[in-house]
Amino acid sequence: MALPLAAAALLALAGLVAVEALRPSPALTQAAEERQIASELRCPDCQALSVAESRTESAAAIRAEIEQLLAAGASPDAVRRHFVERYGTWILLAPPNPLVWWLPALALLAGGGALVLWLLRGRRAERAAEPPPPVDDRLRSRVREEEAELDA
Amino acid sequence: MRRDWLRWLVVPVVVVPLGWLLFVGLGRDPRDIPSPLVGKALPAIEAITLQGDAWSSTDLAGKPAVINFWASYCIPSCVDEHPFLVKLQARHADHLVLIGVLYQDTPDGARGFLARFGDGGWPTLLDPSGRIAVDLGVTGPPETFFVDDHGIVRARHVGPLNAQSLAAGLASIGIAS
Repeated sequence: MALPLAAAALLALAGLVAVEALRPSPALTQAAEERQIASELRCPDCQALSVAESRTESAAAIRAEIEQLLAAGASPDAVRRHFVERYGTWILLAPPNPLVWWLPALALLAGGGALVLWLLRGRRAERAAEPPPPVDDRLRSRVREEEAELDA
Repeated sequence: MRRDWLRWLVVPVVVVPLGWLLFVGLGRDPRDIPSPLVGKALPAIEAITLQGDAWSSTDLAGKPAVINFWASYCIPSCVDEHPFLVKLQARHADHLVLIGVLYQDTPDGARGFLARFGDGGWPTLLDPSGRIAVDLGVTGPPETFFVDDHGIVRARHVGPLNAQSLAAGLASIGIAS
């Protein structure tokens, strides 16, 4: 009962993630695009903040460069590439490979699958195990005798 | 029998990659971020020096260069590496261009630093907009780029230079220290 429920819940979760990932995003103004790109880039000299959040001079320089590049007609992807070419993928706050986002879910599925297999195998082994040999009266009386001897 | 086979499969499929990831990940210096500029042409630089002169990367004209980002507040790292740069300038000024770039600092701060720790005589570029630092993907001072005589960035060193790292950087541009 628990297994089909868990599978259904996982499927529903995967569906929600897929819908969210495939949903077309509305067109952004240039200012919104600047903010969006700045929020995806790591501030070079503070590291724990995005360029959008940081008040350092490097973050300000990057924001100014984003604005210039977009105003010159560069696409948001070209702007991101511009900074990756200078800083490497380190500058991106989110991993560029979308597969990375699926790794925890894949690890969870693999772990869950391994657990289910292990439980099923244990149950099967229990069922397949031979029943203990029947205890005849002679053996039973011998055990009682030995018990009595021990108690004496 | 089948279970044994599965158990042996776990070692190459799970344990080995996991062990490799941990070995590589934990052994890495988090400050050592590879620069994508290494192996590529130095971006064009045009700036005014601390001394008030115009400087352009075209001035390098076939000479190898060492470009050092520094700041007067970068203590002790910039102070520690300063004597190595002074020595480099004294020894290699005739066949190598040493350039400083002031990183998020004021000209007065830089002059104070040079007055206190010694002015080796190489130019320092002002970068008030941070444009040069962004073009070279600088993450903070001190940071040093080694550029060969063809204008190709051959190495980048993050952190203070010492005899060893300076020698390695110079070797990458064909100069024995």
